This record gives sequence, C-alpha cells and structure tokens, in this order.
Amino acid sequence: MRIAAKISKYTSIILICSLSLIPFYILLVLSLNRPGRIHSEGNIFMPDFYLQNYIDGWQKSHIGSAIINSAVITFLALFIIITFGSMAAYTIARFNNKVNKAIFWMFLCSMMIPGIINTVPLYTLMIRLNAINTLWGMALVCAANALPFTVFIFTGFIRSLPREIDEAAIIDGCSLFTTFWLINFPLLKPAMAAVVIINGFGIWNNYAQAVFFLQERSKHNIPQALSVYFQQFAGAKWHLMAATAVIAVIPVVGAFLVFQKSLMKGLTDGALKG
Amino acid sequence: MRQSKIGLHTFMAVPALVLFTLFFLLPLAQGIGMSFTDWDGLRTPNFVGLQNFFNFFKDTRALNDIKTTVLFALGSASLLNLVGLVYALIMDGKFRGKGLARVIIYLPAVISPLIMGYIWYFLLQPGRGFLSIAIKQLGHSEGLTNWMNTYCLQMLILVLVNVWQYTGMAMVIYLAGLQGIPKELYESAKIDGAGYGGQLRYVTLPLLLPSIRVNIVTNIIGSLAVFDVIMALTDGGPGYATESLSIYIMRMCYGAKTGYSTAVAMIMFLIILVPVVISMRLTRERK
Repeated sequence: MRIAAKISKYTSIILICSLSLIPFYILLVLSLNRPGRIHSEGNIFMPDFYLQNYIDGWQKSHIGSAIINSAVITFLALFIIITFGSMAAYTIARFNNKVNKAIFWMFLCSMMIPGIINTVPLYTLMIRLNAINTLWGMALVCAANALPFTVFIFTGFIRSLPREIDEAAIIDGCSLFTTFWLINFPLLKPAMAAVVIINGFGIWNNYAQAVFFLQERSKHNIPQALSVYFQQFAGAKWHLMAATAVIAVIPVVGAFLVFQKSLMKGLTDGALKG
Repeated sequence: MRQSKIGLHTFMAVPALVLFTLFFLLPLAQGIGMSFTDWDGLRTPNFVGLQNFFNFFKDTRALNDIKTTVLFALGSASLLNLVGLVYALIMDGKFRGKGLARVIIYLPAVISPLIMGYIWYFLLQPGRGFLSIAIKQLGHSEGLTNWMNTYCLQMLILVLVNVWQYTGMAMVIYLAGLQGIPKELYESAKIDGAGYGGQLRYVTLPLLLPSIRVNIVTNIIGSLAVFDVIMALTDGGPGYATESLSIYIMRMCYGAKTGYSTAVAMIMFLIILVPVVISMRLTRERK
C-alpha cells in the first residue's frame, strides 16, 4: 500500500515536470531544424542540429542589444526599488503614526492597479521629460509600477525584525539613517530575494509598457525586439523565430537556475509574510 | 523609539513618494481628467463630459473585449488556483528531487509571456503546428482541429497557456501556506478519525485561506490586465474576437483616440475593483 502510494506520487511528479518541460524541448527542436525541413517526415522529436539558425537569428534580430537594454532597465529599476522601497518601508514599519499609515494604505491600494491603467497619460509626461526611447525613463516607469509591492514586502519583513537592534545601535551613537543602512539593510536579504524574483523577471519581460515607451529599434527590450522581429516573417521561418526565442530566453533561465536556491527560498518567505 | 529622532525618518520615505507620485499617481489623476475629453494626442482637448463612456458601451468591439477579458480572468484565476493547489498538495512533504521539481515547475513563470505565447503558437498552430503534425503521425489524417474558428476553443487555449505558465507561482504560494500549518493539527485530526479527505477539508483548506486570498486576488488582477499572451498567440484575432481591454487601450491610443483610450482604462479599473473588493470581503468574513 505504501509503495503503491509512493509510486503514484513519483509518477504524478514526473508527469507534472514533463508537462512543464516539453514545450521548451519542442522550442529547442524547432530552433535546430533546417529551414526546409518538412515537419511531417521522420521523427519529429529529433532535430537536425542545424546551428546556422542561431547565427542568422543573432545577426538579423538585434537580440544582442535588446538583451543589454533589458539588463540595464532591470538593474536600474531593481536598484531604485530596493533602495527607495526599503527606506520607505523602514519608516512605515518603525514609526506608526498617521502619515505613515496613510502612505502604507496608499501603496497597498495601488498594488491592485495594473500599470496599463495609467500608461496612456504617462506617455504625455514621458514626452515632456524627454524620456521616450530612453532606458532610464523605462526603468523609472517599471520601478514606479513595482514600488507598492516592494514597500509591502519590506514593511512586513522589517516589522518582524526585533526593534532592540535599532535601539542598541542608536544608544551606541548611530543616527537613524546610519542605523538603517548599516544595521537593518543587510538583514533585508531574504526580502530582497523575494522582491528581485517577483519584480525582476516582470521588469525584464515587460512588454505592455515597452510597446509605448521603447519604439526606437536601438532601445528595444527583449519582448519588443522579438515581436518586431517576428512580425516581419508573418508566420513563416519558424526555425529562425525559435532560435531567436531560445537566445532571448537563455539569460533569464540562466539567472533563475544560478540563483534558484535563494530565489525560491525568498519567494516562500516573502509569500509567507504577504 | 525615541521622540527626538522623529524628524529625520519622514525624509526616508520621500524618494519613494516622489517617484511614485510622478510616475503613478499623477498620470492616474491625469487619466481621469483626460477620460472626459476628446483628445487625439496632438490638438488641444475639448471637454466632452461622459461621451467617451457612452461611446464605449455602444461599441460592440469594446463590449466583446470586456467579455473576453472577464472570461479569461475568471477561467485563469479559478484554474490556476485549483491546479496550483493540487500541485502543492502533491509536492508537499519530503521526497527525493523536491528542489529540482519545484524549479522545473516554476521555470515557465520567469519567461516572458510573449515568448511563451510564441512557443505555444508553434505547438498549436492548426495544420503545421507541432502538435498537429504529431497527431497526424499517429494516424489521424486531419491533425489538430482548427481551434482558431471557435471562440470557446480560442479562449480555452489562451486560458490553458496562461495557467500552464503561472501554475508554478500559485503552487509556491500554496506550498508556503502549507508549511505554515502546524503538524499537531493533523495529528489531532487523525486521532479524531479524519482520513486524508477530512484533514484536507477541516485542517488544510481553512488554514490555507490567507494564501487562497493572496492567490485569487493577484491572479484576477494579473489576468484582467492580460496583454502579452494574447498578442503572441492570436494577436487579438481573428478580427477582434480575442482582443483584451489592455490591447484595446493600446490600439486606441495609437489610433489617435487618446481621450477615449483613457476612458477605457478607467472602465477597466472599475472592473478590476469589483472582484478585488468581493474576494477581500469574503475571505475576511470567514475568519
């Protein structure tokens, strides 16, 4: 009986995992097929190992510069939300007055408003700031959209830290500001992991705002570059599309796999508090 | 904390507040103003009162977009939570390869929904899609039926792709919730004679309510703002059949109907408010 339960558990886990992986495998197969391959012939799960697709895809799609743009936007935005967000969260968590309560509620309510709601009016502001087709402008937009959630996570986390450490530091002569940066900020690592995983991938993959604010080819981020590149094929040349998609996916998958341990832990801890 | 230190701390929230006001609250307020004008993005706008909103409800395309968006959100949120919960229950507890399995299941969630949409487009395209060819090789000469012809099938496919991508996220939240349930409760439930079903009904589910609330609220908001998957899989087509409100806002803005597109955004905001308030109420009352 026990063995039967174990077997069925493992079988279902293997099935679930393959369900998650098979589409990736098929993308890989398509990306390695010869341009002229007739799909219905031979073993369709066996690719041709035709690597030229990757070279062609890389050269024709500007995906390289798009990856750099996405990276710049993501790092800038994450830097902003982690510094600004944790500072705001610190005052909210440590000083329970009416102003801070109001700020917290404002962020809490804003968490429920998706970015697309204010994107059109934001466009006019971005024109006035000369921020259209700039990486910093896009980073600021993404940071502002991610800020409510960041403040929420950090506030919950700072509340769980004992106040005594702050008080000890202040008695030792630290100002509030240095207390935060030297004592509290390093302790926020688990919350930062949650903030990075939940917002970072979303900013990296942002498409709904990129369509508005990154129209110039040299400033395209990954999804914007891919969609522009794919549209010119009108549904043909899947081998090139697939190869470019694989290139586009490599940085995120790589980052996820390298940091998966701390990221998954941060996610569970963050979700627990949330 | 000591009273004398209060002066400085208020400034620590200032950077966040400035950024948020400039790039979020101000545009939001502006958008409310713009939604009452006929602005086309260039000329000076005229105040037209509620005209944009009347136009919206007369526009069959807009009404269809509401239907598509709401159906997508309801389908996604319910399926995501159901599948995510089942996955979490299977993946809970200790077994070999647990970490690896979790990473694999979460993996789709870190990839751009746009790319996900394209992957499934390669798989599901009628006639020459991968699945279609696989079915043909198995001996069914017609291959995959042409799901692009039927609205229900299109919606089902869009929902399933979305669920496939984000189940890992729902699962992780439920796993975190499951970890928080004290083991003693299961012991005492066992002593009281509860089987697996009884434990699930009287211990697991009631204690998971906070996680369920978080999941449902985030899923509904996320799915109501759906943009990428639909752009990649159907491009809102055929015609405007599977267009979502977000895509409609973008297209109206590019179609020099800026005032109108902000009005659509306001309507979308009101739609989002409904499920959020209801689900918050419901789960709070049960406590």
